[in-house]
Amino acid sequence: MTSLNLSTGLKSTWCPGCFNFQILTGIKKSLLNQPDFRKEDYAIAAGIGCHGKIFDYLDLNGINALHGRVLPTMLGMKIGNPNLNIIGFSGDGDAYAEGMEHLIHAARYNSDIKYVVHNNQVFALTVGQPTPTTEIGYKDKTTPLGENIYPLNPIKLMLSAGASFVARVFADINQIEWVLSEALKHKGFAFVEILQPCIIFHPAKELKEKTYSLEQAGHDKTSFSDAMKKAEEFDYNMMMKIPIGIFYQKEREIFEDKFEQLRNLKDKKISWRDIKR
Amino acid sequence: MKINILIAGHAGQGPNALSKVVGSMLVKWGYYVFISREYGSVIRGGQNFNTITISDEPVMSNESKTDIFVVLESEFKDIKKCGIVLIDEKKSNMYFAGRIIKLFGIDFSILEEELKNIKNLEENIISAKKGYDEEKIRIPLKKLKNNLSAMDGSTAIAKGAIKSGVDVYFAYPMTPSTGVLGELAQRQTENNHLVLELEGEIAVINAAIGSAITGAKSMVGTSGGGFDLMTESLSLAGQAEVPVVIYLAQRPGPATGIATGTGQADLNIALNAGHGEFSRLVVAPGDTTECQELTSQAFYFSQKYKIPAIIISDKHLAESIYSFSEKPIMTKSQKPTNIGRYNSYEHDESGAATEDVELIVKNVQERLKKHAAIGKDSLNFETVKVYGDKKSKNIVLFWGSTKGAVIDASKNINAKLLQPLYLEPFPKSLSNKIKKAKKVIIVENNSTSQLSELIAKKTGFIVSDKNKILKYDGRPFYSDELQAELRKRLK
Repeated sequence: MTSLNLSTGLKSTWCPGCFNFQILTGIKKSLLNQPDFRKEDYAIAAGIGCHGKIFDYLDLNGINALHGRVLPTMLGMKIGNPNLNIIGFSGDGDAYAEGMEHLIHAARYNSDIKYVVHNNQVFALTVGQPTPTTEIGYKDKTTPLGENIYPLNPIKLMLSAGASFVARVFADINQIEWVLSEALKHKGFAFVEILQPCIIFHPAKELKEKTYSLEQAGHDKTSFSDAMKKAEEFDYNMMMKIPIGIFYQKEREIFEDKFEQLRNLKDKKISWRDIKR
Repeated sequence: MKINILIAGHAGQGPNALSKVVGSMLVKWGYYVFISREYGSVIRGGQNFNTITISDEPVMSNESKTDIFVVLESEFKDIKKCGIVLIDEKKSNMYFAGRIIKLFGIDFSILEEELKNIKNLEENIISAKKGYDEEKIRIPLKKLKNNLSAMDGSTAIAKGAIKSGVDVYFAYPMTPSTGVLGELAQRQTENNHLVLELEGEIAVINAAIGSAITGAKSMVGTSGGGFDLMTESLSLAGQAEVPVVIYLAQRPGPATGIATGTGQADLNIALNAGHGEFSRLVVAPGDTTECQELTSQAFYFSQKYKIPAIIISDKHLAESIYSFSEKPIMTKSQKPTNIGRYNSYEHDESGAATEDVELIVKNVQERLKKHAAIGKDSLNFETVKVYGDKKSKNIVLFWGSTKGAVIDASKNINAKLLQPLYLEPFPKSLSNKIKKAKKVIIVENNSTSQLSELIAKKTGFIVSDKNKILKYDGRPFYSDELQAELRKRLK
């Protein structure tokens, strides 16, 4: 571990006890444990929502982008400099509501970027409206009749869309540290969902105890059909058994390698500025 | 002298290829040409009309009358009364190329050279030769010494972007912006830039912002509806201070509107789109030379001031072929800055979000200062062009693609012609000139006269309704019809 500290020193505005602290710490630990970690080799993007404040607390270059637009921004960042490691953060509203079209295409493109979705199954920063992964029956001020639309299963969606790395963990420092390291090792688009209770609007107290490890259950992450079966065990509606870990991982040609112009920047470790025309 | 050739045929019969070949030969023969095209939003079977205007002096528009009517499809034979009609339904497009050059007395070898640039060489040469041998009419054009080139507006914008050092161009296909996408895509390997089509205009603009912050000179292209989708991110580029060049090729709206028509109804959105208050540049080229020059200026301003810069064009400019002899004067722009911390929230110098009252006010004031600095810097450029009778007390105002028709219509007319190239920042010199005028006439391809609205807002000067010459049928102005309109108002 280097002596670097990835904190900006800004005072946090997350609620005391918020699981975002676990996520932030897990991300930092994972990054600082990367071999030969240098800040300048990384850039981040975040959306808008409680998760997005991670941009203010994580001292790396990048952008706090628009709600729902983290993925195309990350893709652009990678194209602007394919030598950078790009990590993006979204909330469930950001990723699964406003930004859905980008999510499907990001899985298809398979750019070598790492995407972390903080899924607390609620729009927290706007004080508690349901998102596409909120369970049926959830009520808030704006849904007095109760949420009545069946939730989306993002794991199944990502598998069908062709994501080459699909994982889900609980918002726990060690799990996050582990999964980001695995995602960074993976060459291609990594989709990582973090199941996260919102202590104010969506406490989901039994969430953690329902989880079990895919790895310990002997899951074969190279099998697409096994991954699909495991993905169906938790439908984001009923609190049933929740498998966590890597559902699926299979490397295929990455987006950047399909373009000679980007391969050139990577091979020579140069940026667009260095191109003489 | 002026000769107008109208070529009518179905999409798929090659009226475009025919008009390009004829135009290119005439340019090599020393003649100025202007070629515009009208077509429907279909790939096969729609009605296509290409008009070629030929002149021994500069020409940048068509006339409504037709001198030579080339009919590729007999169902169109009655749409135009004309002295010379070339018709033979069984023949291919290049047969008519042969007939046309024989008619003008141009050597067949020039056509042979020209055909080498397109596919089906042998077949084309046989039919061209047949046409050449069969034509009996003669309107000989003697070879002129003019050294001319020709290109369409899309090619000119793409050339301008390449010369300005564009690294990445993102787009989602939409007529009439797609010409630039195609041209840049064709040239990406030789020039080592990258062209990408993403899942939609929202992805396009956000990817461009992403690539700009990590160090690529970035540009996007779109048309009205696509530009609407980009609007939120235009505001992001303003807040986060990210340099991005946006090519906006107008077509008539609202909504899907007339997909393959021309119009100038999106000036208001170019000037005003995006929530909040932030600086932008809006420039409006009116011919291919200006397309190149203003593209380089858009890159200059966007890179120097970290702002979105919009180049507003339209179908008529993008898809018409202009002939010219001058070389564009290009402006050098900075390379993108290295990555830092950018934020869509109001933020401090470190890039962290803030709600601090003093900082908010300071940031807003900084943005206002930047706006003033851009205005001042714009004075180093030609923001308004003046043509016509420069001593006249009458003014004819226009912007963008109406330039060709206005200039061609205003020969021997008692008026000074003013073309603002910059619409944001608004050129102050324009306001001084307008206020001194006896009569101000405005020519626009829209129904609400968006330029006069802008002038009223910026200067308080109201152009009287009877002096607005507006065309909103999805078609460009013809110079002869426009001349009659101008004369009526100058009486």
